Amino acid sequence: MTYYLVDGSEDCFYTAVFDAYKNKDCIITSERDVQLGLGFEVFDVVTDENKAERVRAKINALDRGAAEDISLLLKSNASLKENVAFEYIKLIISNGGAVRAMQANPTVIEMTQIRTRVYGEAHKLKGFLRFMENADGVMYAPYSPDNDITDILAVHFAARFNGRPFVIHDIKRKIAAMYDGNEIVMTYAGDAEIYLSEYEDYFQNLWKQYYNSVNIASRPHEKQMRGYMPVRYWKFLPEKR
Amino acid sequence: MLDAERLAILTESAKYDVSCSSSGSKRANVKGGLGNASVGGICHSFTPDGRCISLLKILMSNDCQYDCEYCPNRRSADVKRASVTPDEICELVINFYKRNYIEGLFLSSAVFTSPNRTMELLTDTVIKLRKIYNFNGYIHLKGIPHADDALIMRAAKFVDRMSFNIELPSEKSLKLLAPQKTRESLILPMKKLSTALTYDKENKVRRGGVIPAGQTTQMIIGASPESDGQILRLTEALYRKMGLKRVYYSSYIPVVESPKLPTVGAGLLREHRLYQADWLIRFYGFDVSEIVGEGENLSPDYDPKCAWAMRNMHLFPVEINTAPLEMLLRVPGIGARGAQRILSARRFCALDFDNLAKMRIILKRAKHFITCKGKFYGSESGNAVKAALMLEGIKETREQLSMFSCSSVALSALSGEI
Repeated sequence: MTYYLVDGSEDCFYTAVFDAYKNKDCIITSERDVQLGLGFEVFDVVTDENKAERVRAKINALDRGAAEDISLLLKSNASLKENVAFEYIKLIISNGGAVRAMQANPTVIEMTQIRTRVYGEAHKLKGFLRFMENADGVMYAPYSPDNDITDILAVHFAARFNGRPFVIHDIKRKIAAMYDGNEIVMTYAGDAEIYLSEYEDYFQNLWKQYYNSVNIASRPHEKQMRGYMPVRYWKFLPEKR
Repeated sequence: MLDAERLAILTESAKYDVSCSSSGSKRANVKGGLGNASVGGICHSFTPDGRCISLLKILMSNDCQYDCEYCPNRRSADVKRASVTPDEICELVINFYKRNYIEGLFLSSAVFTSPNRTMELLTDTVIKLRKIYNFNGYIHLKGIPHADDALIMRAAKFVDRMSFNIELPSEKSLKLLAPQKTRESLILPMKKLSTALTYDKENKVRRGGVIPAGQTTQMIIGASPESDGQILRLTEALYRKMGLKRVYYSSYIPVVESPKLPTVGAGLLREHRLYQADWLIRFYGFDVSEIVGEGENLSPDYDPKCAWAMRNMHLFPVEINTAPLEMLLRVPGIGARGAQRILSARRFCALDFDNLAKMRIILKRAKHFITCKGKFYGSESGNAVKAALMLEGIKETREQLSMFSCSSVALSALSGEI
């Protein structure tokens, strides 16, 4: 059994697919702490753009939507995501075309589930992300999502906030998407020091007031609230802090 | 700027409007503008009552000229009154939107001064929000009955959705409980909007069209004697003839003592069953005549789809690998998405029971109505099926009711809705 260790980037993953494709007994993973037994070998994959491009071209020729599926899979926090993506690619190639509709196939079921979780979290956080205005008028939103979805959110908010600068900060992964009003740049970001605008408190308080007023207290259903809005997101919501 | 007290009063007055959706519009942002609409809608928070917050739901004023029997803001009610200016609303929307608290605005109002004056001010507010504040997020505007058509059609060009609440399921009840509103004052503007929507669609109007997310309405259930059959016939007509996007039901609960109003509430189970039937009409290809007779009510024991299936046992079981979509949609327990998944999966291989389970098709109810590759896994006798479904139904009902569990005192806050 061969372990192809990748660094988490898409290019590195596609390089690994190129290297591992003919190997019948292998796993692609980005997990560094794999338990190795006898007869296992580890292969540290070095990104080769040429190889990655060839795999991409092959997949795109067979199924134009597959690259997006895989891109979403690789953002997941699921431990076997690279391998599911690898199996998915093998299935597309052996089938000679899109396999998304084979909804009873175990690989497709697994792919769809992981993809749905990533996409679902991105959709949820399009709603639950909270911005604060800093003294320079830049909107700053810290959060810590399960999956690596910062770039998806940045594209969504850049369309909305057209021309208004913002920062979306994934404090767990220590990365941030910075939008200067023109383009989005992904960058490393450790701790951030923020000076809030003088109006920030006022609007946060109004929002809390609104949240309390709009609730129908005599129709309690906390279970449903928690189902739709999991507690792990609450620490960044002014109305729930 | 708006203070917390007025915000509280005007939100408390607006919160019984059931609609909270922000879906159906794909309004794009413009250069330098703020906001766009997401076609699937986005929920921004959830309150402890389990409802989502998507839009800033607020009244311009709760100082009403009308005296609708069931309404907490009726003229004769002793409540605190407040109002806001268009600019105060615009600033609040912009600042909430920038912080991603909301998806847009749901603006409504009590009828102050006159219907036209009220509609005018509502229209001014949304136009200001679009033109001066350059806001392109979602706006749902409530229509004011008896306002001029010209005002309503002007507002319709700037908002994503409009709604006139039909209030009660029959003209007779409306006369009795909301004497200042007439059926015409509610239905005619809805018809006007529906005609304008059809025109836009037929002429492929892309920009400057009216209400891209269509119309909705709301009615109170159980404050008047109409049967579920009558209510759902009205609903069906609203969907099929008027092209409405949603009809909302709100179960009546006595909050005002009045000789004209019943002293007991309609129960939340009834509201739930009506929504289930509503879904069958919209997404499952059912005609209302298949669901319930005109003078009848829906069964409290089974959901309407189960009830239909049990009346039509001669059509079941259906073979999952060959049944047409229309029939899959009629199997209790299989939803619209599940039916599509089955349709798609069976093109590649014949499905057995195990496949369905792995595809996460819920089989608790469905197993009594399907065969997989000719094999049947349900109960053989009709009575056993009934008993099994009844048990499921009771469990479901309990859960549904526990979500509304509240003491009778607390219930009083839940009015018959605006």
